Amino acid sequence: MRKSLQRIWSLSIKEFIHLRNDWWLPAFMILGGVLELVAIGWATSRPISNLPLMVLDQDRSPASREVITALENTGTFELDSYVGDMQSIEQALELGQINAAVIIPPDFGGEIASSSGQATLAVILNGAESIPATSALRAIEGVSREMGQEILLERLGSGDDALAEFEPSLRVWFNESLNEALYTTPAEAALMLEFTVLLFAALSFSRERELGTLEQLLVMPFSSLEIIIGKSIPVMVIGFVDFLLMLAMVHFVFDVPIRGSLALLLILAVGYLMVELGKGLVISVISKTQHQAFLVVMVIGMMDFMFTGYAVPVESMPEFMQSVANLIPAHHWLAIVRGIMLKGAGLDALWPHILLLAILGLVIGTFSLRFVRRALD
Amino acid sequence: MKSNGIAALAQDLVKRFGDFTAVAGMNFEVYRGEIFGFLGPNGSGKTTTIRMALGLLTPTSGSVEVLGVPVDGNTHALRPRIGYMSQRFSLYNDLSVLQNLQFYGRAYGLSNHELKEGVEDALVLAGLEGREKVKTHELSGGWRQRLALGAAILHEPEILFLDEPTAGVDPLSRRDFWDLLYGLIEKNITVFVTTHYMDEAEHCHRLAFIQSGSRIVYGSPAEIKEEVMPGQVLELAPSDTGKTIQVLREASDRLKIDEVELYGSLVHVFGPQMEDKLDAIINTLRDAGHDPGQASLVEPSLEDVFIASIK
Repeated sequence: MRKSLQRIWSLSIKEFIHLRNDWWLPAFMILGGVLELVAIGWATSRPISNLPLMVLDQDRSPASREVITALENTGTFELDSYVGDMQSIEQALELGQINAAVIIPPDFGGEIASSSGQATLAVILNGAESIPATSALRAIEGVSREMGQEILLERLGSGDDALAEFEPSLRVWFNESLNEALYTTPAEAALMLEFTVLLFAALSFSRERELGTLEQLLVMPFSSLEIIIGKSIPVMVIGFVDFLLMLAMVHFVFDVPIRGSLALLLILAVGYLMVELGKGLVISVISKTQHQAFLVVMVIGMMDFMFTGYAVPVESMPEFMQSVANLIPAHHWLAIVRGIMLKGAGLDALWPHILLLAILGLVIGTFSLRFVRRALD
Repeated sequence: MKSNGIAALAQDLVKRFGDFTAVAGMNFEVYRGEIFGFLGPNGSGKTTTIRMALGLLTPTSGSVEVLGVPVDGNTHALRPRIGYMSQRFSLYNDLSVLQNLQFYGRAYGLSNHELKEGVEDALVLAGLEGREKVKTHELSGGWRQRLALGAAILHEPEILFLDEPTAGVDPLSRRDFWDLLYGLIEKNITVFVTTHYMDEAEHCHRLAFIQSGSRIVYGSPAEIKEEVMPGQVLELAPSDTGKTIQVLREASDRLKIDEVELYGSLVHVFGPQMEDKLDAIINTLRDAGHDPGQASLVEPSLEDVFIASIK
């Protein structure tokens, strides 16, 4: 037992020396994560505003000017220019100079004034940038609803109070200010844990194979389990430290609250880390070079990323994809991180995710251990 | 040479990879306390045989025993008793001299005291005293080989497997390296070494010539020479070696000679009773208008034997 621990320790020390000698790789992982966090955090910490808006006003009436002012007042848009023809709008959209354009037809003011008129206006949005387009749509809908209400009241000849009872009262939970950073930055930290662990685990054996030292390691008196443990300790340490750093940044720099139990979050982080470690080690023994291992990590990482619900909500995926998402450990991990940090959720609310993560971990871990041991024996 | 027991034994060892037969029925006995040479061209099955002896590969058929224990099923028990230095890469290049030695020592379970002494010995052996902090990749080939050897024997193995330890190392360093191997014999470590350098083969106590996965000649250098090439070799120093070889090969049936081969800048002529054919050969060359240069009868080298035996 003592000798076994000594062997494991000797291997871990060696791995730590490699990490120190190749310091740029861990530094790159940590610095890269921090930079990405800063970029994404800042970019998404404010609501979308000042989207350039182009106007083709064929009416030039007080009513049309009122619409433009109302749109400007939302803060979502900033008037770019008035133009006289459609071509200018098409060109500007193609060149990406504007995100939205409003076309007001010649009889707009007249239709509004007439008691049975049907006023219309056209809005063109750059759907290629879906996030600004969604914000723009939301703002335009708001303006048109308000104007519709005003017209209705005017035509009914009643005062403002008549419809007051129908004023909807909206409240967004967990992220009251709709600050996107609350949503994105914990996800970034969570995903960085996956990438760090996967990458360093994937490099652990592929590196030795590429350099030709694996053979020497295998004739030393290590058991395959000792090799796996000795190689895993540094990967776990670096993955966990990276996650702690990212979490600290998310909390202290981007003011994202940790409403639930920090201890639970950290314990589950270690659990999740072991699951990704299992995947990384399998990648490591099937890859002949570090380069190959790196590419496999990228492919698997990007695939996991799709199913985490970070880019596209899992709920809006086709049913088949939704069931696939349940098989992706990162999906549950992200739900756990958001649940604990933003909703203050505990075991009572998160247990389905924790249970699924545990089952996946057990399956992946067992397979990985057998697979890697067989590859090493 | 002490032959107090068998250190390694292979019986009808076969290894196939799909349709390719890497080792085709290998047999050898390595005695304790000797340097056993495994000689053959690249791809002849040397490394595959060593890998089976180390338990890294399972034989397709046949068996191999190391230190009296069948390797199959006992690899873990054997590992502490075996040393191995693989082709070129047995050290971690980004680790320092000391870090490499410490890793080996700790991995083999040496106590702090043993480790300290072992590291000192290895540094002396490699001639790297005072350079403990140098990164291994900064060392030249010869130093690196000696350090790898020092690391491989840190745990005092009973048998040491060396796979082409001197490939790519300069001749002087190779000479030093072999002096170190002789030193190991005195410590009662058996050495199993593969090489494709003929001059190194002469230094082995016993050796096996390997070709296409089979043993073609086997024994001590003297036994092998006696078996394959009894008698002497005619050594010529002609001005034009190419023409000389051509003329003699064309006349080989009439002259009753077996082989004519280039030997450095010289030409070696093989055949039975060369001393009787000396005059006929020289006359043949003179008749063809070639100066045979200085002609002498010499003992065959292992290179001669090897070339003759693979034909």
